[in-house]
Amino acid sequence: MEAIRTKIDVAGQERLAEAERETVFEARDVSVFYGGQRAVDKVNIDIYQRLVTAIIGPSGCGKSTFIRTLNRMTDLVPSARLTGELRYRGIDLYGPKVDPVEVRRRIGMVFQKPNPFPKSIYDNVAYGLRILGMKKDLDQRVEKTLRAAALWDEVKDRLKDSALGLSGGQQQRLCIARAIAVEPEVILLDEPASALDPIATSAIEDLMHELKRDYTIVIVTHNMQQAARVADMTAFFGLNVTPEGSREGILVEYDKTEKIFTNPSDSRTEGYVTGRFG
Amino acid sequence: MAEPAFSLRTSGRLRRRQLVNRLMGALALGAALLAVAVLAIVVISVASRGASALNLAFFTQNEAQGFNPTGGGIRFAIVGTGVIVGIATLMALPLGVMIAIFLSDLASPRLARITRLALDVTNGIPTIVVGIFVYTMVVAAHGQSALAGSLALAIIMMPLIARSSEEVLLLVPNSQREASLALGVSRWRTTFSVVIPSAMGGILTGTTLAIARAAGETAPLLFLTSLGTNATADSNPLHPLQSMTLAIFKYSELADAGFQAKAWATAFTLMCFVLVTSLGAKMAMARYRKKLGG
Amino acid sequence: MRDQYEVELEELESLLREEGELVDRAIRGALNALARDDLELVDELIAFDDEIDQRYLRIEQGIPSLLARQTPVAGDLRLVLAILYINLHLERIADYCVTVAKLVKLAHGLPRDAGVLEALEEMGERCREMLSTGLEHFGARDFKDSQALIDMDRPIDRANRKLIDRLIALGPEESQREWAMRMILVSRCLERIGDHAVDIGEQDAYLVRGRFEEFTDASHKLPPVKT
Repeated sequence: MEAIRTKIDVAGQERLAEAERETVFEARDVSVFYGGQRAVDKVNIDIYQRLVTAIIGPSGCGKSTFIRTLNRMTDLVPSARLTGELRYRGIDLYGPKVDPVEVRRRIGMVFQKPNPFPKSIYDNVAYGLRILGMKKDLDQRVEKTLRAAALWDEVKDRLKDSALGLSGGQQQRLCIARAIAVEPEVILLDEPASALDPIATSAIEDLMHELKRDYTIVIVTHNMQQAARVADMTAFFGLNVTPEGSREGILVEYDKTEKIFTNPSDSRTEGYVTGRFG
Repeated sequence: MAEPAFSLRTSGRLRRRQLVNRLMGALALGAALLAVAVLAIVVISVASRGASALNLAFFTQNEAQGFNPTGGGIRFAIVGTGVIVGIATLMALPLGVMIAIFLSDLASPRLARITRLALDVTNGIPTIVVGIFVYTMVVAAHGQSALAGSLALAIIMMPLIARSSEEVLLLVPNSQREASLALGVSRWRTTFSVVIPSAMGGILTGTTLAIARAAGETAPLLFLTSLGTNATADSNPLHPLQSMTLAIFKYSELADAGFQAKAWATAFTLMCFVLVTSLGAKMAMARYRKKLGG
Repeated sequence: MRDQYEVELEELESLLREEGELVDRAIRGALNALARDDLELVDELIAFDDEIDQRYLRIEQGIPSLLARQTPVAGDLRLVLAILYINLHLERIADYCVTVAKLVKLAHGLPRDAGVLEALEEMGERCREMLSTGLEHFGARDFKDSQALIDMDRPIDRANRKLIDRLIALGPEESQREWAMRMILVSRCLERIGDHAVDIGEQDAYLVRGRFEEFTDASHKLPPVKT
């Protein structure tokens, strides 16, 4: 009788689970400038370990710019500059003694258009391993990685074939395999499925559900339904037009995906997810 | 079934179009045939004029001593060209590729423009001037040598290799570089492990063209290595060595028909040398491409 | 943007509004049939139920179609779900009206008690009030006043209980007792109609606030609803 009468405090349990989650990234007032132009304005966000966090928003709202700050890929643009503080496990990513190459070893990235190297499937996966000196048991590592990327069964008989002979969806999974081969902690995905057909997209989404058991995943997507399907947390970046007329991205709302899609707090978020405003 | 609103039957316009198409096709084919014909004519005329001197001994023996218009061969010259051009390639190729990397990856736009201008100007310097330059720099103090010849040829080859390599390096999509960098691979490793292998085809092609050009140079070698021996197939780069071009020059100046034939035969040999180098590079490229499955 | 989608949402809501109005007329009609013991009206009411069913079915079919094709989220999703549930509640109310009409038919010719009829009339009018308040606030997306629904429902429950006592005390004759039984059932129907009206209020709250909370619970007393 007691069991039936006791109301399960679902909200309470969830709060507890959240408190136990470690924070992988902490952004405090992070702004990104390209030359004099501000692309992203004062983002404050905590990204949690082993969850999938999606970043959604209209074009030009700085989603790609922001995700690239997380592994210092913004360094590749000479005019890019970051203000505020971005910490990875407590370490300031943009601090003076931080080596961006080391950062990128721990925080991997997969891009919108699949970009496998024009080498064999095996060599694509082994590339990072060889260069970073993780050469022991290469065959086993390659197999383990391809299994983790749900690609092994499809390619195990043709590892020496060129990666360029794979389909788009397979190539993208290969890129994911290549990224996880070097055992990063975080995987960043910048619109990973936007160049793929629905079946390939579905395969990538299933893969993400599996990968989040071991990796923290951040994904930028312009497909809201995809964010709704795969993400645990969702951040909505909106477009802000300054009085001077320039456009910059701001973080409007960041919450559990369920909340964003059933009852968002901010009317701008509501406007975007219901498709009323681009 | 009702008549369609417009007629799909052939009209005068269609016939005219078909005629124009056929005419253009014929012109294009004609142009291609012409190009092949020119090459064929050149090869055949050179070969036929040198035919009398072409025999096995021509390739395997060194020049016969004394006045002997039909005896002996040009082995010394073949070896000489090989050494001079080979060393020049060894000098110019890495330098050219590094310059290309600098231009495509590292230089600011302004610096890149200046460098490209310098390369283009160097490319335009008459080769005889390059020869004189190397003469004053090297030969005046140390005497002639094949090495000096290689140096001059390297100066001539370098802009060609640099510019064509730069072009192909730029053609490698940035997404490839990004992919490697995102793995935590340094910039230099990325360039050597991803970008250059991808661009290899273009680099080889540019190098082959440069080799072809260098192998055909005569003027600079006149200053730098013309005192080489023709009696032996010397291959010491510190000695002056003869080249096929110098041999052609020398034989063409001698009146005897035998020597004249030797000149043509040497020319033919040089052409074959260039042809074999080109084909070899193409085959290597094809095999490389097949390996990549591109 | 999403014009077609907006049109479809508007259509569903408009159908719901129509259904609400028809149900209101059905309640009034049932009360009239009861008051006047009017058999003709009873037959009309039973036929009238078809009008309501028509709207009900169109909404029932429109909702899965909209969900599948337009994937509504956030406020839109809550609106569609609210329409779904309110539609069900309205249909149940309409069914109870038909039941009342049938009971009037069965009780025809039996001796009646004016006091009981007056009480039933009042109960019924309260229900109409609750329903129209709930639907009005649904249309206005205005949650706060739905609070008042709870306050309106309690008197109905009380009146129901008092009525039962009165009916029990009516009289020894068989015909009187038969009439009493029928009227107990009518009272029960009206009480249920009241409950459904409160449920509609709960949907209003869900739509506006984004959380679903019960206003009243059959098993135990709930804390007051927070605004």
